[in-house]
Amino acid sequence: MRDRFGLKMFALVVLVVVSGSHRINAQFIHPKIKSKETTIRTVVVMPAKVNVVRDSMKGPEGMAAESDELSVRVEKMVAEVLSKRKNVTTLPIPGAAAAPADGDSQQKYNVADFQTKFDELLPKIMKKRSDVKKGRFSMGDEVLNLNLEKGADAIVFIRGAGKKLTGGKTAMRWLVGGVVPAYLRLQIGIVDARNGEVLLYTDPDLAGDPTTAIDRLRKALEEGFKKLPEVKG
Amino acid sequence: MFPRKPTNLIVAALCFCVVFTSLGPVTLAQKKTAPVEATPPPVKEEFKFGQVDLEVLEQADLLDVRLERDGLVLADEAANAYLRRIGKSLIPRGLELERVSWRFHILRDPQPNAFALPNGSIYVTTGLMTLLDNESELAAVLAHELTHAMRRHTYMHNRSNRKKFLTMNVMAAVGAYAPGGVVGAVIMVVTTVAPFIMVATIYGYSRDLEREADLKGIDMMISAEYPPEEMVSVMKLLDKDFEGENIRLFYNDHPALDERIKYLSSYLGGRADKVTPQMELHRERAAYFQNVESVMRHDLQLSINAGRARSAVYLAQRLVDFHADSENLFWLAESYRTLGPRSPQLTEKELTNSAKKDAAKKSLKRTNEEEERELLATPAGKENWQRHQQMAEDLYRRALSAENPVPVAHRGLAMLYEKLERGSDAAAEYEKYLELSPTASDRARIQRRIETLKEKVK
Repeated sequence: MRDRFGLKMFALVVLVVVSGSHRINAQFIHPKIKSKETTIRTVVVMPAKVNVVRDSMKGPEGMAAESDELSVRVEKMVAEVLSKRKNVTTLPIPGAAAAPADGDSQQKYNVADFQTKFDELLPKIMKKRSDVKKGRFSMGDEVLNLNLEKGADAIVFIRGAGKKLTGGKTAMRWLVGGVVPAYLRLQIGIVDARNGEVLLYTDPDLAGDPTTAIDRLRKALEEGFKKLPEVKG
Repeated sequence: MFPRKPTNLIVAALCFCVVFTSLGPVTLAQKKTAPVEATPPPVKEEFKFGQVDLEVLEQADLLDVRLERDGLVLADEAANAYLRRIGKSLIPRGLELERVSWRFHILRDPQPNAFALPNGSIYVTTGLMTLLDNESELAAVLAHELTHAMRRHTYMHNRSNRKKFLTMNVMAAVGAYAPGGVVGAVIMVVTTVAPFIMVATIYGYSRDLEREADLKGIDMMISAEYPPEEMVSVMKLLDKDFEGENIRLFYNDHPALDERIKYLSSYLGGRADKVTPQMELHRERAAYFQNVESVMRHDLQLSINAGRARSAVYLAQRLVDFHADSENLFWLAESYRTLGPRSPQLTEKELTNSAKKDAAKKSLKRTNEEEERELLATPAGKENWQRHQQMAEDLYRRALSAENPVPVAHRGLAMLYEKLERGSDAAAEYEKYLELSPTASDRARIQRRIETLKEKVK
């Protein structure tokens, strides 16, 4: 009797530990989207910020060039998935390509400051992701200062962090264990371009080398936007 | 690295103040003006680049590109030229270092900070430039950072880190307490490119390397005729914690403020007495403020955006004390409006390490609007709000009645009235703003607000 009770307790503990260690990837949608009060037809995708580090036996090493490449890839893939799966059109960011020499540093600052504003809001969203469903989070009407094209319905912010293991670290993982395998974890927020409300938050992730897992990335993104209603017609 | 130090070493600081009050500017001016002897900092010419160092260098070059591309570098030519002039005056003549090209940049970041990259790029944040009092203090910061680059500290730090395995743990700690806002943006960029540089950026190098940067920095200051004791003033300034964000972490291995003051004073010895007329000029506050006024205004906008209202009020007040023109009055008004129901200063209890940690955790759980609502539900919050909105209104009015009034003061006033639920007054002020600034970049936002307000009034 005592043995069976011990076994049940052990199973329970294992279940709790396993479920606790797993992040539940989900999508959280604002009630306005659910009730179809707001429809996302066109978006502006802000430059993605995806950081990857190489985890070596001597600590993490920066992968600036690879991170830049991956950021561009994720950004393009998000636009592609939204277009192909949800019929959502992507518009360009006004003045995004302008260099300070063009006398347009103000627009560059605007974009930078909005990215920062999202970075500030993101930890709060992540703390209680389900509150997106209550319409709790907003970036305020300052989003209008971005002066996007009139038809823009929403702004997409993409953040991500990933890790790639070196050969030594991979060997250590197999031999000793206790090393987190390579991964990429994204955080994507879609914000109303008219009033700054967070309309959707999703955090797709994938296992494996983030710099090469292209198909897995596409799949993760498709999964990540599953709940976003498709635009008809 | 010139980070802010979370310290609480009042006794040592007071002792130092007593010593230096007797050596204040006036006294110093009357002292000997003999030529100053200075020893240019010896440079480790024997430094040999290894593969690991070249990788670090490559990451540093990429970091320069990234900071510029992401709109985090201030494109203010006059201010940049000023920074460059001071920086170049500190570099020993004829010094040429392999793979170093000196460049000086201003980072759009309200957190007071500065860092040097191994390729010779020196970054000073708008937050630090706004906090400083004179050119000599800025020279002290630059001399300290230049020494890090000249003495190849980044490479040494990286080599040592690779041996110690510490970086990962430090990064975990950063993750727990990294502040948000623009500060977060810079940290994020630095983290991506070179995690170890990020660690140095936030926590500084090892004690020995920081000490070397302090001491060699003093030599460089003397050579360029900057009063060397200003290095100590900077450290005291950086010890100010307006927002309760300087959390002491286990890994923070910097020499504590009193220890730094002690060894700097001992190193300075009699040399602090030798003051040249040029040194006196470099200590002038008004000249410094004139050169960096545009940076200060830019920083106020960033501070307000990042919700650093207490810092904003302090810094804007300094700016108004220097030059009470319409724009500076407007910034002070904006700062008070942003301060809202918050207290203007943190209490001693709120500045304890545990209270700061609690506040950091709490700030993750609520948005700024929720924080304001919570505060407004308390008598102290209500009282603060009433006082601050009154001050803001008076300041907006003063800004509008000053010479060459800035139209944005109408917008500020409108936002204040909107919060006070004076809809028609708010709409009228918004309209005045748009009338005076027909090409304002926030026109769409303001028009939307006017429409909403008019609908509400109806």
